[in-house]
Amino acid sequence: MGSTEKIKIESLTYAYPFSDKNALENISFSIMPGECVGIIGRNGAGKSTLCLALTGLVPKFFKGRYSGKVLLDGEDVRQISYEKLVTKIGLVLQNPFSQITGARITVYEEVAFGLENLGIPRDEIKQRVEAVLKALDLWEKRDENPFELSGGQLQKLAIASVLVLQPEVLVLDEPTSQLDPGETKEVFEIISQMKSQGITIVLVEHKYEMLVEYVDKIIFLQEGKMIAFDEAEKIFSLPEIDEYMVGEPIYTKLCKKLNLKNSRGYYPVKFSEAVGILREARCGSDR
Amino acid sequence: MDLIVKVENLWFSYKSGKFVLKNINVSFDGVSTAIVGQNGAAKTTFVKILKGLLKPTMGDVWINGVNTKETTVAQLAKVVGLVFQDPSEQIFKSKVIDEVMFGPLNIFRDKQYSYQMAIEALKLVGLDGKVNEHPYDLTLSERKLLCIASVLAMDPKVVIFDEPTIAQDRYHIKKIGELVLELEKNGKTVIAITHDMDFVFDYFKRTLVLHRGNLLVDGKTDEILQREDVLKAAGLDTPYIFKISSSVGTVISKLFPI
Amino acid sequence: MRVLGLYVERDTPVHKLAPFTKLMYAVTSTVVTFLFPSITVGILFLVLSVFLNTIARVLKHLIALLMVVSVLSISIFLIQGMFYVGNYTPLFSLLRLTFYKEGLLRAVVLVLRLFNMISAFGILMLTTRPSDLIDDLVRRGLSPNVGYVIASVLQIVPQMLSTATRIIDAQRSRGLEMNGSFHKRFKAFLALIGPLVLGSLLEARERALALEIRGFEARTKRTFLKDFSESKR
Repeated sequence: MGSTEKIKIESLTYAYPFSDKNALENISFSIMPGECVGIIGRNGAGKSTLCLALTGLVPKFFKGRYSGKVLLDGEDVRQISYEKLVTKIGLVLQNPFSQITGARITVYEEVAFGLENLGIPRDEIKQRVEAVLKALDLWEKRDENPFELSGGQLQKLAIASVLVLQPEVLVLDEPTSQLDPGETKEVFEIISQMKSQGITIVLVEHKYEMLVEYVDKIIFLQEGKMIAFDEAEKIFSLPEIDEYMVGEPIYTKLCKKLNLKNSRGYYPVKFSEAVGILREARCGSDR
Repeated sequence: MDLIVKVENLWFSYKSGKFVLKNINVSFDGVSTAIVGQNGAAKTTFVKILKGLLKPTMGDVWINGVNTKETTVAQLAKVVGLVFQDPSEQIFKSKVIDEVMFGPLNIFRDKQYSYQMAIEALKLVGLDGKVNEHPYDLTLSERKLLCIASVLAMDPKVVIFDEPTIAQDRYHIKKIGELVLELEKNGKTVIAITHDMDFVFDYFKRTLVLHRGNLLVDGKTDEILQREDVLKAAGLDTPYIFKISSSVGTVISKLFPI
Repeated sequence: MRVLGLYVERDTPVHKLAPFTKLMYAVTSTVVTFLFPSITVGILFLVLSVFLNTIARVLKHLIALLMVVSVLSISIFLIQGMFYVGNYTPLFSLLRLTFYKEGLLRAVVLVLRLFNMISAFGILMLTTRPSDLIDDLVRRGLSPNVGYVIASVLQIVPQMLSTATRIIDAQRSRGLEMNGSFHKRFKAFLALIGPLVLGSLLEARERALALEIRGFEARTKRTFLKDFSESKR
């Protein structure tokens, strides 16, 4: 049957109301089911706007000038019924604190909130909430007030509240920006779990060293335009990365300085590969 | 060298009674220092005490010879500047220049002088081209730089940063790091709270590790960040630079001098 | 204080009653004491409310609430006792002030009404979680949006207080004086109010997004995780 792309964006151009600049300009790409795609770019490049566009919140919530299409399983995101959309695609934002509804006083009820809205039968709600809380290691905290949780636990709660709706696609906009290294690792482990369950994932991140270990491809944005959409090592070897000062994994930078490429002709982006290449180089010229 | 900040036998607890900071003894004097620790190690509490916003439950903190218990926060603002984490919890003027002048006007009073200081600070952070813009027309990263400028404009001897790299892109992390080096060159004492270990390695000569309110270690960044046992105990990670070094077997840090 | 409200956690039959039932009781008992200003009716309902509060084991808290209006009650006695228009029969005098029978009796009715209202609503407030009350009302037809607004205010106001503290800290760090002349304090107020309001609006916007993502606007019939009709006797 026709196209099997999970997400397809066609010539998407968008500007926020009262803005003369396009936040996104002529973006086109496709993501296959089960793929994990990263989005990188400087602050202001349009990464968050793209996340909102994937879920239809742009233009639903933000109006503004919109042209082009965002298709989920072949359907325009603006046409999909709200109830269906909510169970198809979920979004996790940067700030753990502003994702709690504030209307529920225990973690358990907070996670159940979404399911209550959708009219899911009570028994199923209980089943699903318990499963998700246990999977994310929040079951012990189920009776606590969300506002008493730490930043890292709150972010897990936000992910749990969205996962419980069993979306096929999950978009995460800098989920670890407020978290310390331990909490960051936990979130990436959850992402890895979801990946193995076949959920299509789109992830905006600045922590490149961790990002490259989990994504299949990366979208590189700059000032609203898509500079490239490719495998991580190809992206970080582009001259535009240096030109726009986007940064790269630390060991990639090291290899760039030493001009060490891998067998495919690109600078290595994964830790293990970089270590291998550096070891080889060291054996060549001893200090 | 003059000990600008001296902390003696500091113990602190909020009203609930449990001590959040225990027996801290440390001094700062012009060497850029990073304070690292997990979320919840009481790092922010510590710098609030340095800033005079909180008073020690036991022990003393001396800023430039003055005991923080004997002066006001506004007075201390002349010597110690603290850049808070969230720009939106501070910005309230409608022009960049007004926002940056707010601090200086409070402590210098003189409008002309305050204006000068504000412009210099904006130059230092690279925002001198946006003097008349509305702060909320700036990007998130620029707003952070704006907050930094508004503290630098007060010309404090000590500049403290609370998690300066959160939500910043790599470019701005570098910019902030370079600013730290510049401030150190100009004789300022820079202290930063952070859990970004690579940022610490690149820009700070000295590192303090806090864990559950205790000062675990205090020493040269180079040495401290290699001690996996200490970092692990504090819930932290070694910087990627050292991860590579230990995996490859060379002291890679020699390629990235501070 | 993490949540605004007077809820006291207990496990009693009164706690298990449907919030709406308790609300109806509170409203009815208040209305009745207004319609029938007799001392007998007042005492009857008061005894009933106190009894219910006792079963709910929140009597201590109720007394604390009643203490709040103790000053008001005393002043009612004083004013009605001395100045009520229908005063005719002097009862006693204190410090050259005369207290009349009619006034004092009227005062008793008024104070009983007051105590009654507090005790009846006390049962509601002390034994019901605000979020449960709102849930029950939403189930019976209150717009979910209104219900959400009320429920979130109860949690978000304490949050705003801690944000306000951080804002004050930030501004004080920039040399802002909090005490002193009116001019100074007004300046301080401006430096606080701007970021607080703007921050709250921005946060409200993000929260609205979060609600949207979690299906809040779904037109399907909502499920209520807690069903009070189950525990109704």
